[in-house]
Amino acid sequence: MTTTITTNGNQIIASFAGRLDTAAAVQTAEDIKPLLEVSDKEIILDCTELEYISSSGLRIFLTIRKEAAAHGCKVIVRNINADIRQVFVMTGFVSLFEIRG
Amino acid sequence: MGKAKSNRHHGLWILIVAAAVLEAISCTMYFTSRAAIKREAEQRVQSELRKAELEINAVTIEMEAAAKMLTALAERHIENPDSVANATHVLLQTIDHVSSAGVACEPYLYPKKGRWYEVCSSRDTCDGKPCIYTREIGSASHNYFETEWYKNGLSIDSCWWSEPYLDAVGARTMIVSCTHPIRDKKGNIVAVTCIDLSLDYLQDLSEYLQIYKDSYYAIRSHDGLEIVPGADTVPGRKYHTYDEEIDATGWHISIKIPEDVIFADLNHIGRIVGLLMLIGLGLLIFIVWRSGRDMIQLVETTARNQKMENELQIARAIQMAMLPKVFPPYSDHPELNVYGMVKPAKEVGGDLYDFFIRHDKLFFCVGDVSGKGVPAALVMAVTNSLFRSISAHEEQPEDIVSLMNKAFSQQNTQDMFLTLFLGVLDLTTGKLDYCNAGHNAPVLVSVHELSELNEKSKNSKVESVNVLANLPLGIVEDFPYLAQSMQLEKGDMLFLYTDGLTEAENSDHDQFGEQRMAEVLASLIDSRPRHVSDTMQAAVEAFVGEAEQSDDLTMMAIRYQTPAIVMRNDIQQIPTLAEWIDGLGIPEELNMPINLALEEIVSNVMLYAYPHDKSGQVFVECTKGESLIFTVTDSGIPFDPTQKGEVDITLSAEERAIGGLGIHLVRQLMDEVIYNREDDKNVLTLIKKI
Repeated sequence: MTTTITTNGNQIIASFAGRLDTAAAVQTAEDIKPLLEVSDKEIILDCTELEYISSSGLRIFLTIRKEAAAHGCKVIVRNINADIRQVFVMTGFVSLFEIRG
Repeated sequence: MGKAKSNRHHGLWILIVAAAVLEAISCTMYFTSRAAIKREAEQRVQSELRKAELEINAVTIEMEAAAKMLTALAERHIENPDSVANATHVLLQTIDHVSSAGVACEPYLYPKKGRWYEVCSSRDTCDGKPCIYTREIGSASHNYFETEWYKNGLSIDSCWWSEPYLDAVGARTMIVSCTHPIRDKKGNIVAVTCIDLSLDYLQDLSEYLQIYKDSYYAIRSHDGLEIVPGADTVPGRKYHTYDEEIDATGWHISIKIPEDVIFADLNHIGRIVGLLMLIGLGLLIFIVWRSGRDMIQLVETTARNQKMENELQIARAIQMAMLPKVFPPYSDHPELNVYGMVKPAKEVGGDLYDFFIRHDKLFFCVGDVSGKGVPAALVMAVTNSLFRSISAHEEQPEDIVSLMNKAFSQQNTQDMFLTLFLGVLDLTTGKLDYCNAGHNAPVLVSVHELSELNEKSKNSKVESVNVLANLPLGIVEDFPYLAQSMQLEKGDMLFLYTDGLTEAENSDHDQFGEQRMAEVLASLIDSRPRHVSDTMQAAVEAFVGEAEQSDDLTMMAIRYQTPAIVMRNDIQQIPTLAEWIDGLGIPEELNMPINLALEEIVSNVMLYAYPHDKSGQVFVECTKGESLIFTVTDSGIPFDPTQKGEVDITLSAEERAIGGLGIHLVRQLMDEVIYNREDDKNVLTLIKKI
């Protein structure tokens, strides 16, 4: 599981690759900390290479979502696969995030 | 063969060099000895010649002394002719060597005696005794005035020696004369003394000069007259000649020695040495030939062995390739875990194990061919293919074994036999049909209560499988093999082996035995088959120690199991759960939901069931039927996740709590979630319909 953060103008992009399971979530929570401190940006969570997510991953997403709202940021989830979309549906996350692709 | 040829050349060279060295030594020895012998012969000859010369000189001096003595006597009594005659007589009496002594006078020295007066005493024999005979011999018929000796006697004022001559008058021997002038009181030469010396004594010089047998000597006068004639030389015989001149007389002594006589000893020794050399050389030839032959044999044998070893290694590779090597082999049968190994005592062995799955049935066998090495390996290969081909269409163990036996017996020209345990395990029911053809009974390791994590060993059982006494294969062609059957429970392990395990001997010839094997198995109740096999092998090797492996060692462990995984309370073990689920062979569309649901439950246990500083376990097992049933068991604090309240997924992000999503997902993903608290354990059962 790898997390890569890049900026592109007003956008800050976090790209996830691999399986975001409970074991990987510990490191990922550390890796996304920069996202929790930005303000007035568009945060993009790129899930093109994310294979799997469990509730600990979802919690990270929710944390980002909450902090973004507090800092006037917008969060966009990009390119989730069918499995993850199913999880998003089951957990109501589809209505919490703007999902593209 | 190239090596062999070069070896033969090698041997030949050794021979040539050895012969040359021997020859060189012998030649050196021969010529050195020859030179030494020749030198010694020369010295001997010189020494003997000197002695001879001394003797001749002594005689000569004696004669001269005699001549002078007679002259002195004659001069004293020169007036009286009878006294002079008497003097010759006395001289002969006094000096042995003198053969005759005479005094010849000038004409008319004694007017009464006439013109000639020569008186002479010579040795004769009277009445059979030696006597001296004195007479007057001068006369007209014996006109001594004209003789050489007389003339020289008159003219030379000293001793004069005549050349040797044959005595015409006396004993008809070679004589030599010595003369001396006789003077009267006034100093005028009036007569001549003449002493005759018989040279017969020279014949006696052979004491000195006959140095070797067959050697001879000759003495010649200054004029070449033979005083002592030499013997005739043998034609074709080589002679060494030594000459010496006698200073006093001017004679030549010549010694001739046949060469073969001089070197007789050397030639004798040479013949012995030559013979020894020939014997030695012959011996050497024999040794070189033998060692060459041995070397050739050794080279050829080594080459042959090398080739055979290479071929054995290939054979071993082929043989090993026949055995299944991928463990666990069947990902769509997670209820089965098999591991097998063969460790041949030689390059190739006669043990085998094999297994494959057909129609949800595991066909497996373990066998042991009588004997070891290549013949056993060939039989093993045949057996292996028979097992594969017959099991491809037969399902009953007794039928498979009977057909194998028949085929094997027909091909068995070497009176070999094969013990075999063959089983067919129905993977859906756990029913095991088997047929044992004289093989070691397998061991069943059973666990009664799989879910009792920490007390499994209490309920374990290690026992031999009950087997009938069927004959080994290859003995009776139409032997009626009988099969048996038994029920395997989930968690049971069947351990098959060959006698190479139980009969493995240490250096004290103690056998590993069934008791040790059972003890090792008892400690491996819930181990994977590979671990069982590795541990058993390590135990045998530790037992055997330095002793040589005496027989092929074969083991196969079959675990018929409820697919299960045990993890520690460490969330870093979560990826192993995903791998385990991947290996269960469940439908692909269910993979993510099962994975997610199990992870949520398992990670919850890992994080919260045990105190932080206490290690604990979480056990997951899977049962496949019409539904997939998973049970997650832990020994942590009692916790029923099903009692957790539902999360409201309709709330806004600001209103949503961070936690609680996990159990929500499990409920969503599974068809049923049931919690039980059993024996101080949390048992959560998740059911998903297929």
